[in-house]
Amino acid sequence: MNLYFNQIAAIVWKDFVTELKTRELLSAMFIFALLVILIFIFSINLSIVKASEVGPGVLWVAFLFAGTIGLNRSFMLEKENGCLMGLMLVPADRTTIYFGKLISNFIFLSIMELFILPLFMIFFNIEILEYLGPLLMVIFLGTLGFCALGTLLSSLSSNLKTREIMLPILLYPLLIPIVIGVVRMTGQLLEGVPLLDMMKWVGLTASFDIIYIGVSIMTIDHILEE
Amino acid sequence: MMDQEINEDSGGESSILVWLTGITFFAAMAAIFLFVPTEKTEGPIQRIMYFHIPSAWLSFFAFFIVFVSSILFLWKKEREWDIYANASAEIGVIFCSLVLITGPIWAKPIWGTWWVWDARLTSTLILWLIYVAYLMLRAQTDAGSMRARYAAVLGIVGFLNIPFIHFSVLWWRTFHPQPKVISSEGFGKGMDPSMLATLGVSLGAFTLLYFLLMGQRIRQEKLKDEIDRLKREKLFSS
Repeated sequence: MNLYFNQIAAIVWKDFVTELKTRELLSAMFIFALLVILIFIFSINLSIVKASEVGPGVLWVAFLFAGTIGLNRSFMLEKENGCLMGLMLVPADRTTIYFGKLISNFIFLSIMELFILPLFMIFFNIEILEYLGPLLMVIFLGTLGFCALGTLLSSLSSNLKTREIMLPILLYPLLIPIVIGVVRMTGQLLEGVPLLDMMKWVGLTASFDIIYIGVSIMTIDHILEE
Repeated sequence: MMDQEINEDSGGESSILVWLTGITFFAAMAAIFLFVPTEKTEGPIQRIMYFHIPSAWLSFFAFFIVFVSSILFLWKKEREWDIYANASAEIGVIFCSLVLITGPIWAKPIWGTWWVWDARLTSTLILWLIYVAYLMLRAQTDAGSMRARYAAVLGIVGFLNIPFIHFSVLWWRTFHPQPKVISSEGFGKGMDPSMLATLGVSLGAFTLLYFLLMGQRIRQEKLKDEIDRLKREKLFSS
């Protein structure tokens, strides 16, 4: 069991070293998310609509779009020079590749989100500090669900001819339930509703996360098979 | 010689199915346009329900078959299940599109708008998008084991999404007419018997149509495989 975790950690570490060396992904994700928020601010008139009503939607759209860049890159990087083949040749369970990629995607996306949140607060003039705890919990659940399904589909789409196009087409319809859930929860939190009043949404997102991690464990062997 | 006999056999079976489907459809049309009385408040437009509900039933059933075939494919790795999943997804998408077309035609005079962001409408639209993506994935990859495996994974992931879609959009908002056939009052209590009978015939006709289309599509796909095999054989022998 210890070996299994070490193998996962090795894959996560490898992704981190690559990122530290190239510094391509995090900055690109951050700037892209910022641009998405800006474009939304220009396309909606904030003096008419309530910022706390449209804000959560804009925030999550920015997270998802920027996250898709990260997902697209995560397996594409491995396709270059046949690195994925190398990973698959390692005498380890294939699920370690999935978990390693899931964790590194999750950490990259979370770092980006932590940088975006203060900017979101400033641009939309929304006070988030007093709801920070529950908000981070909602962001955790949403990001985990996004990465759980996204990592699976990204491992699949990286082998297609039109990979950057196919990933969003496959991923976004499946993410709609979780998007509705997290946007609703974020909006309610910013209105001052405690998280305990939204347990059905928490349950929905949490079970989404668990089921899709489970399905990925069961099906990843069939995707990473050459 | 053997092959020919098998083909003739399946031809015989499918011709029975063709006749059965044809007759049931004829009966359904007669019931819908001649037998069943016009609904009091909604008028003749209500008759579209006899196409709308069976199409919805057929598409959900087809997506369920995709799910089952996908699991069986990953388990057994037989080309047969891949063909079933592919054929069923195609039929499901067609009838899901019909649901999305007939719905607004009914909604415009009754609700006054083509589309509302109601739970069932939204979930049908999402479902349509998922299975269109499934067919696109199939179109993007070359025939072979990879396509079948990827499609099977998506077939499973997509179907497991249905409960999440259902609850998320239900808690989001809903105005769709409540189910009349199986309601809390008991089976078929919310509807006139003649309407229920017509709907039943129509459901039967659509279900038969599903099997007819499936049979045709499976046969077509198998013939395609056979042609590919013969092509390769001839290519390497010459």
